[in-house]
Amino acid sequence: MGKVNTVLGPVATETLGLIAFHEHIGYGMPGSELDSKWWKTPEQKYEETVPKLRAFHEYGGGTFVDATGICNGRDLDYYKSLSAKTGVHIVASTGFVGGDTALAHFAHASVEYLADQFIHEITVGIGNSGAKAGIIKVGVSRGGRMTDLDKRIYRAAARAAKLTGVAVMTHLAIDAEPAIEIFGEEGLPLDRVVFGHVDDGVNHDKSKDTWIASLGGRIGFDTFGYETELPDPPFWARPRKDRLDHFLRFIGEQGYLGQVLASADANCSPLGWPGVKGHTVNYIFEDLIPDLRAAGIDEATITTIFVDNPADFLTLHN
Amino acid sequence: MADAHAHLSAAVNTVLGTVPADSLGVVAIHEALLSVLPGAQYAYDITLDQAKIFDTLASKLRAFKAAGGGTVVDNTGMFHGRDLPLLESLARATGVNIIASTGMGPEENLGGYFLTPQTNPPTPWPADKFADLLAQEITDGMVIPRLERRAPAGLVITEADAHGITPTEVSLFQGSARAALRTGVALSVRWGTDAHAELAHVLGEGLESNRVIVANLDRADAVAEGVPATVAAKGAYVALDHVGQNDGSYIDDAARVTLVTELIAAGHADRILLSSNAIGVAAGLTPVTLPYEFVLTEFVPALRAAGVSDADVQQILVDNPRDVLTVRGGKA
Repeated sequence: MGKVNTVLGPVATETLGLIAFHEHIGYGMPGSELDSKWWKTPEQKYEETVPKLRAFHEYGGGTFVDATGICNGRDLDYYKSLSAKTGVHIVASTGFVGGDTALAHFAHASVEYLADQFIHEITVGIGNSGAKAGIIKVGVSRGGRMTDLDKRIYRAAARAAKLTGVAVMTHLAIDAEPAIEIFGEEGLPLDRVVFGHVDDGVNHDKSKDTWIASLGGRIGFDTFGYETELPDPPFWARPRKDRLDHFLRFIGEQGYLGQVLASADANCSPLGWPGVKGHTVNYIFEDLIPDLRAAGIDEATITTIFVDNPADFLTLHN
Repeated sequence: MADAHAHLSAAVNTVLGTVPADSLGVVAIHEALLSVLPGAQYAYDITLDQAKIFDTLASKLRAFKAAGGGTVVDNTGMFHGRDLPLLESLARATGVNIIASTGMGPEENLGGYFLTPQTNPPTPWPADKFADLLAQEITDGMVIPRLERRAPAGLVITEADAHGITPTEVSLFQGSARAALRTGVALSVRWGTDAHAELAHVLGEGLESNRVIVANLDRADAVAEGVPATVAAKGAYVALDHVGQNDGSYIDDAARVTLVTELIAAGHADRILLSSNAIGVAAGLTPVTLPYEFVLTEFVPALRAAGVSDADVQQILVDNPRDVLTVRGGKA
């Protein structure tokens, strides 16, 4: 069927298995590395991360897509070692979580320069790690509206995606009109983009998921597990049943099963924030898939959501 | 009693630890060794060749020493390429004292951690949080990100936006002043559009004016308005720190000589600092390739030719930086 760039090299799409398409080994806002309150030893990071990836592997997980862009603590040599020692494919991203996580060098850069940065990381490698990015991350800055810098990053991502064949994933699906316009102008088909976080507690009622899907975009329900029922929920948490019902509606009566992706957006070992205790990528196996089965979703549909859709999406299209 | 104690223990924080303030010699107070625009370290087209960077900087520092220089202050702060193992190795290899700085600015060079934190709403950092972060770089040592702390910082630096100080920069200025006040280390501010108003933000925190350096006061607009003399009259240090740079936005060296003689005549010899803002190695920005000894080899002869005394030269190049860089008793 094709191939996907993982941190240990390109692999055949057929080997990806079950895919957690929007996760983080460890995310930290740029500058958080200066604040020693968050520092962890390498021993601690491995201790927090390896058991989660091993459990993911044992549950039948195949591929972990790291959505941590440039400047957010992305660490390719670490990812390579984690992948090699746990047997989980890790796909790294180029791009930025949002304009507000792009440091000055990139914030001042032209669309052409940003595209060159992304293309280099996809075709040559990230830093001196030799690992190639398998997806491009873009996103909407805090505040709910796309900034000029967000738009430049989206446009650069569209050009890099078109040239290299990798897909684009967004942080937030709010204010999608300018994004869709940019992808259209650059000639990137919307099925090469997943509009993410349509399901979170803050943005779900502002995200036009069915409208984006009607235009051909893929839709990411990818904050599964950030629930108001948690002892110390983050501000983007949502009642568990609300999110699940939203998801079931989207793949059921609204008919967009073929365009849906699902993930948990968990941090294995957060870098610049406390993280959310108890929330891991394995929510997919421990809670989400059982919830789907309890709601009457059959195994073929579960395979569509977690295997076929993300594999088609991640496969290099060029 | 407190003053006597401060005098006895008069010391300066260098990257190799504290040294007696009298041992600094001639100080180049506003310079950059390795300067990296935030984010440039991740750029696909920029390679930071550690061996080459070391050789370039070591040869520049040796030239500075050969010309009579004793100490270079790297005023890039904590998030603009500061590489402490590099600076420590350079200090050991060349015998030049290297003083590293903490601090950040302007806002556009800050990371999102400080500007759009993961809270709802994403309120930028207040002054007290900046104060804690920066003071810790002096009380506990400067950070190598996510790895360890090294020697205490010797100077706090900050900078306002060139189009006018932003609300977040006001917090940053206030927090920088509190860190300086708490630790006894001096503060250097690069002003944006209004040196006095921006200075007021740090003096408003209770920091004494003689613990503050106002940088970039050889900017043409400041000189036209007589700001160097009025800042000196307030008791803050006046940094004429683009010596050798003669582009349009700064006055040229001939005008700098005149400015220095005027400030001395007005009784401000003890407030003047001279430096070049040279950048030894730059990544993501245009290098300023002046030698660190430019003030010594080119500008001092011009001062002498204009009648500036040896005593005043000594005051400006040695005594003033020594006084401002000496760590005072902090107010915990």
